[in-house]
Formats: sequence, C-alpha cells, structure tokens
Amino acid sequence: MATIEMIGVRKTFGTTVALADLHLQVESGEMVCLLGPSGCGKTTALRLLAGFEQPDAGQILVDGEDVTHVSPRHRGFGMVFQDYSLFPNLTGRQNIAFGLKVRRKGALETAETVDRLLAVTRLEKHADKYPHQMSGGQRQRVALARAIATEPRLLLLDEPLSALDAQVREHLRDEIRRLQQEVGVTTVFVTHDQHEAMAVADRVAVMRDGVLEQIDPPRVLYSRPASQFVAGFVGTVNRLSAERAVDGAWFVLGARVEAVGDTVAVPDAVPVVGEGATADSVPKHAVVRPEQLHVNRAESGAGPVARLVALSFLGAFTRAVIEHPTEGLVTADVLGEAADGLAVGDAVAVSVRPGAGAVVLQ
Amino acid sequence: MSAVTRRTDVPRVQVPSASPARPARGPARHRGLRVVRWSFLTVLGLYFLVPQLAMARFAFQNVPVVLLNASTLFSKWSVSSLVDALSQAALWDAAKTSAMLAVLSVVLDLALLLPLAIIAEIRAPRLRPVLSALTLLPWVIPPIALVVGVAATFRSVAPGFLTSTLSLVPFYAIWAMPFTYRALDSGLRAINARTLVEAARSLGASELTVLFRVIVPNLSASIVAASGLTAALVLGEFAFASLLLKNTLPTYLVNYQRDSPQAGMALALAVMVLTALALGAVVHMLRRRGLGMSTTGF
Repeated sequence: MATIEMIGVRKTFGTTVALADLHLQVESGEMVCLLGPSGCGKTTALRLLAGFEQPDAGQILVDGEDVTHVSPRHRGFGMVFQDYSLFPNLTGRQNIAFGLKVRRKGALETAETVDRLLAVTRLEKHADKYPHQMSGGQRQRVALARAIATEPRLLLLDEPLSALDAQVREHLRDEIRRLQQEVGVTTVFVTHDQHEAMAVADRVAVMRDGVLEQIDPPRVLYSRPASQFVAGFVGTVNRLSAERAVDGAWFVLGARVEAVGDTVAVPDAVPVVGEGATADSVPKHAVVRPEQLHVNRAESGAGPVARLVALSFLGAFTRAVIEHPTEGLVTADVLGEAADGLAVGDAVAVSVRPGAGAVVLQ
Repeated sequence: MSAVTRRTDVPRVQVPSASPARPARGPARHRGLRVVRWSFLTVLGLYFLVPQLAMARFAFQNVPVVLLNASTLFSKWSVSSLVDALSQAALWDAAKTSAMLAVLSVVLDLALLLPLAIIAEIRAPRLRPVLSALTLLPWVIPPIALVVGVAATFRSVAPGFLTSTLSLVPFYAIWAMPFTYRALDSGLRAINARTLVEAARSLGASELTVLFRVIVPNLSASIVAASGLTAALVLGEFAFASLLLKNTLPTYLVNYQRDSPQAGMALALAVMVLTALALGAVVHMLRRRGLGMSTTGF
C-alpha cells in the first residue's frame, strides 16, 4: 500500500500534448478510475505511472519517494493489460508464479502464494491450462492474479475489461473490486466506460484533452459535475435554457434549480427588476439530468405544447423523449408505474423537480 | 495442399432453389470451377512430376538412355547407382562440411538478426521498414558481385580468410537474411511481443530474463522456421561455394555427376527427397503445436 502522487506531469508526443500539467493524488488503499474518451491522456498517465514512458516535466512520487526515472522492473507495481498479455508458453499457474520466480522467492512460498491466488480468483480448475485454452474472463483473472502475486505497491489496470463480453465484464468488474479491497492495494484503473468507473471506484478522475476536469467520488461526480463535459460523460443530460432571477436564483423550465459546478460570474451591476424576472440579457443554459425532470399528461390547450415522441422501457424506469416547443428534444426518466398512463403522441407538461441540481453554463 | 483439395469438395450447403423456373445455376458454376481447379492442379503436378520421373528413370534404370521409352518403363530398376554414390567417402566429407556450414550459418544469422528484430519491434518501430529493406538487399545483389567485392577486400586485408571453408558462413548468413528476418518479424508481431515485454518488465524481469524466458520460448516456431529455411538454403547453395572453390555438398554433386552421371542423378534425387521430407516434418511439427502460416510463414 502506498500513496501515489503525480505532480505537474507533462507529456507530449511530437506536437500532440497527451498530458498537460497533470496533478493527481491517490491515497493509500484507494481505487481511482481515470475516465475519459479515447485520446484524453488516461492511458498515457497510466503508462507514465508504470514507467513505460518518461514525462517531459513533473514528478511521480510513491510514499514521497521520487520514482520518475526508476525503471518499471524496480517500481514494484503490478499491471493488468487490456489484451491480458499472458505468456503464451506458460500455464496459468506458471504465469502467476512468474513475478515471484523472477524475484527469487522460495519454491514453497511461491507455490503457497500461487495456490492462494488461484483460490481467490476461482481458477483452481484452470490452473494448468495454457492461455489459449482459457476463456477471456479466465485469462484476465490469471492476469490479475499475476499482477497482485508480487504484492505490488500500486496496481495499474489498463482497460482490463474492454475485451470481454457484457456479462463477464460486469462479473469480473465486481471481482476486481472485491479483490482490491481484500488485498487493500492502491489501484489506478483506466477505462472509457463510465458505468464501470462509477461502479468500482472510490474516486473517479474525468480527463479531457490531457487535462484533469474533475476528481471526486462517483456520487459527487454525478450530482455535482464541475462542467458540462463531466455531466455529459457520466450520464445522460439535457441542455435547457436557464434564467437568473434578481436574487441570484436560477430558473429552468419555470422552476427554481440549485446551480452547481460552473456557475456564472455575477456581473457587478445587476439591474433590479421584478421578482422572478431575468437579470441577464445573454441567454444561459443549464444541464439537467433526465431523472430530475417530471412528466405529466397535459390537456392540449391553445398554443404550442410539448409532445411525447418516444418511450422506451428500461426496467426500473421508462425513458421518455419529448418534443418541447422551446427547448427542442428533451429526455426525461419516468419511474416505475408512473409511465403507465403515457403514450407516444400525448401532450405533456415537463417540469424540473423542485430543488434539482443543475449545471449552469455561461 | 490439403486445404486446397478440401475446398474442391462438393459444396455441403445445398442452396434451396427459389423456384422451379430458375435452373440450378449455382451448382453448375461450382462444377465448372472444380474442373478448372483440378485441371490447373493436374497441369502443375505434371510440370513438377514429369522431370522427376525422368530423373528417376535415368538414375535407377540400368537401361541405355536411348532405350528409355514407354516400352522399357518397368524393366531393370535398381538402386545400385545410389549405393555406388553413397559409398564414396568424399560425399560424406562434403555432406559434413555442408551440415557444419548450415549449423554455423543458422547460428550467425540468428545471433545477428534476433536482437535486431526484437529491438526494432519493441524499442524502435521506425527501424522496421529500414531493416525490412536492408535485409532484402542480398537478393538484389548477385552472388558473383558479393564474392568479387568481398574477395577483393579480404585478399588484401586478411588473405587467410578466404582459404578457409568457414569463409562461406558470413556469405550464407547474409544470403539467408531475407528469410530469417521475415520469419522473426512476423513471429514477433504475432505474439504481440511489445506488451509481453512490458508485462514481464513490470513483474520485475531483467532484460536477459525477458529475452530468454519470454521472447525466445514464444518465438520458437519462428526461430525453427527461420533455421529450417536457412539450412535448406545452405545445403543447396552452389554459386558462392563454387566461386570460392569450396567442396560442399552441391559442388560435390556437380563434380560427381560429371564423372558418373547416373549415380550423380540418383544422389541428387535422394537429396531432394530428403530435403522435402525434412521440411515437411518441420511444418507438420509446427502445425501440431498450433502454429500456422501466420506465425511462421510456412
């Protein structure tokens, strides 16, 4: 277990800036997910941590010790690769034992450790198979066991689940988390799948174009995203027009919302207008999640109304897509049986649930 | 070959005819293709087999050449010529020389190219096209140019070098580079050497451990393929050996055939069959280990 710090790390490939001044701290025993679209620099960050790349500037510290220029073999980190990277000429057992043999551990100690890990990863039956005789899930479990066999100070996971099919992926994801907590190893997990990141991480670091946008526990990331990018990346969002009242409160679809994240700077001279009237002439937008919207059937009266254009049943909730006269297409989630009365083509009223948090954008 | 013949089988999936008005054009076209395929294979087979049959008749039938026609096809077959050829002590000397040259050339070739191919794949991918082009050079330069150029250099620098039989080894190593490099390169890419090396290094392995415990074992198929090709090349090489006046198996065969044409032919045929069997055995062994065209080039 160790505390990991990346301080002002910068890495460029030719003219491409992969990482611009990254500061990241991972606490001892913590699991941090680096999340972002491809090309955001998350894999570069991981490879720098592993020592496969050298930063152009900045420092990497493990428990305060500078390892920036230490070779990968002396860092004492474990790594799990996207394509497993098992040694094809070795059986599962021999793969797990590789790191221990390289470190010249005794035969007895090695055998004990390997047996324990085989049991923990439920691989006893497949221990003597070669990688090409195993399924993807089994291979990745061997890779995981191999990485933690040497009791690494830091475990690095590079999109470990992306080559697996959905069911195995979910199962193995939970297994990785269980194992990580059992062993208590500090872990950095790279993924582009927000569900994966939100499900396992203690904290999720959302990256974009080589910059860390926000690092927070999943719940905070979801409910208080720092930017529209983060909000959009960790769930579905609607972009709705927002208005600000003279008292500084924000209104979306006529309801008062709590502004979080990128709040707009309040101009010094706020013209005083009537209660509830807008204070700004520049149009503003707010980012609101589908579950923060409320959908009701409405009587079709005069003037433009919102209409339901699509409904999809997703189990616990039903996702409704509404054609709104001023906001365009709006997505709202209707919980449980509340959706029973709704049908495509209905005139509906859309409102924001009272007190919902929204990201307000300049 | 087996893959080709298997594919010429009658198609197993019968296409249900959509309507009786439409005649079954599909199977007819397949039959046409089959005929073309078989005639092509037959012509190709004859092209290879007829000269060899002629060789065999010349070598193993104790019948004067002018009488070798259809009526004498089954008369006076004998292996006495081969027995004669095999009883020559000089043959075994030449064979030993060639075998030694083959082994040394394989060793030198691998010693030169294995590290280079690995470095190109893992550390300097930009070097790959350069190496690929460089290793093709031996095929563009004719042996005579190579020998004359090198001979001129060595005669003035190290006169003793060219008199030794071993002086052929560097020539052969260079001559086999195109095969060896390609086999190693495709092997390295097939095993995804780059991430294997990263995995091994993150587990604490030293460079030597990575080389001998990770890369070489997983590259064994390519190494065997490269070695087999190099050895076959050396065992059949005539131009360098002849130009440098060395007594190897091919030069011996040529000289021997001049003196006793029939026995020489028998020997040539035997060498050819043996080489083919040896290569076949290597391919078979690789296939049984699940290593096909993609990893070995065979």
